[in-house]
Amino acid sequence: MLIFEPHIHMFSRITDDYEQLALAGVRAVLEPAFWLGQSRTNVGSFVDYFETLLGWERHRAQQFGIHHFSTMGLNPREANDDRVNDDVMAILPRYCEKDSVVGVGEIGLDDQTKKEEKYMLAQLELAKAHDLPVLIHTPHRDKKRGFERCIDIVRDSNIPMERVLLDHGNEETIKITRDLGCWSGFSIYPNTKMDPHRMVSIVQEYGIERMIINSAADWGVSDPMMVPRTVVKLEQAGVPRADIERLVWDHPTSFFGQSGRLDLDALQQPASANLRDTFEGNSVLRGQDPDRM
Amino acid sequence: MSSPLAHLAELLGSETVATLEKLQAEVAADRSRLAVFFPGLPRRTGRDHVGKGHIELGAGTIELAGFRRCDLAAAWLLLATAATAEELRDLMAHGDLEERAMLLRAAHVLPITEVTIEFLGEAQRTNVVLHVEAAVCDGDLVARAVGRPDFPATDANKLILKYGFLDLPLARAIGLEELANAELTRMLQDLATEREAAGRAVWCDTWRLIGRAPAPGTVARLIGGLEHGDDGVRAAAVDGLLALGRDDLRPFATERLEREPRPEIRELLQRLAGS
Repeated sequence: MLIFEPHIHMFSRITDDYEQLALAGVRAVLEPAFWLGQSRTNVGSFVDYFETLLGWERHRAQQFGIHHFSTMGLNPREANDDRVNDDVMAILPRYCEKDSVVGVGEIGLDDQTKKEEKYMLAQLELAKAHDLPVLIHTPHRDKKRGFERCIDIVRDSNIPMERVLLDHGNEETIKITRDLGCWSGFSIYPNTKMDPHRMVSIVQEYGIERMIINSAADWGVSDPMMVPRTVVKLEQAGVPRADIERLVWDHPTSFFGQSGRLDLDALQQPASANLRDTFEGNSVLRGQDPDRM
Repeated sequence: MSSPLAHLAELLGSETVATLEKLQAEVAADRSRLAVFFPGLPRRTGRDHVGKGHIELGAGTIELAGFRRCDLAAAWLLLATAATAEELRDLMAHGDLEERAMLLRAAHVLPITEVTIEFLGEAQRTNVVLHVEAAVCDGDLVARAVGRPDFPATDANKLILKYGFLDLPLARAIGLEELANAELTRMLQDLATEREAAGRAVWCDTWRLIGRAPAPGTVARLIGGLEHGDDGVRAAAVDGLLALGRDDLRPFATERLEREPRPEIRELLQRLAGS
């Protein structure tokens, strides 16, 4: 079964993680630009971070046959920081044109401040201008109210609901989002957010329509294998295999495919950095194989 | 001979050129649009290939099979908009994985300037194999650039060593074997010794290159290569010995010939034995 991992911060992970993901069937990962655990002090740090996601991180992924995509955005935590917020907004349009950028995100609310709302709305406009879908980070504290506020801001922007993924959902938020027309994301963690067993229960109760699951693995206690683990739990619970495949492949590729930048045929093959291998099947470069380097 | 721009247009076809001409017009009106359009070239013009075979394009020779449509489109756009050195530097500095590959591919077609040499320096420092491939494979850019005051043979040697360090095939770098020199041979042999001491594989094209510019230890390494268990190494060793052209070494070829299982290597050995 092929898996599209639609939210994972590989910047913070090691090559063993890439190998494990590849062995578990993860063919593509999406890395949303986010907070790095501590605040950055100037826009240059964002420039370097964004370009690492678009350059080096894609190379790392390709070495394991994994396609790497990104979403670009000013995260809600640093939207509060006047040292960087306006400057980051000024550079984002250039990054929204990059070929592997398939959305705007993570944007949204965290502390639920006026500044967060201002920059969230501005970035919804950015998404419209670049014809990109939006990945929205929802608050971990006072979550239900924050979710509702995110939805209000999305409505204010007039961006179509089918182009919005409200992430980090749980048993309470699915009741809000299931009939909205937006996509509902669930970040499956070892201890917090959501876990595989609870995710099975949600699928059994609500089905899989417009649902997306991810590991959101980052620099904290998290597990990049949470999507494959949840696949196993879903199958053991009797969820039809076809539904699971839709959940972990069709749904994320449909959502981010709205960018017009996902080549689904190319995703059927492992990623490769070889400039000639699409033309001549036997010219694979020896040097791109980590086992040989 | 047509200009590089006209030749690129011929390769790309009228539909792609029409797309590019629109972008060119927008860049002419606002130079900042170049940085916006450049990353979108793969999705706007495609990643497919337009043919294969060596062709002369501009001042250089390229193997068309290594150039995707977007690489050729990048060269067209940069030529048509007369991209400045600063614009090229900006595209490289802030380019994504694909943009940098397109820039390095385009460098095979654009005139060689100090920016080209900076790009080759990037290729030498990077660990992104795609970019080393884009800079060195499927064209004679390195061979044409070497000898400039800002790209002496000593710098080219470092780039070729990097190429071998990454285990990339010499056959895909047009004209690279002609850059063989004794100092490069020393560097390659040192790398080979280090790899052998660690029980690791050695770049098999080492044997091919060192035969073209021997240094102390080269002959022994080439003769030893005839008995190597790796077919690629044996073939390269015979090729290196052919380039070396030492009549006194023929008996080694004759002696190996009887036991060589690979027909293509036997053919090379026969040439060596009879040369």
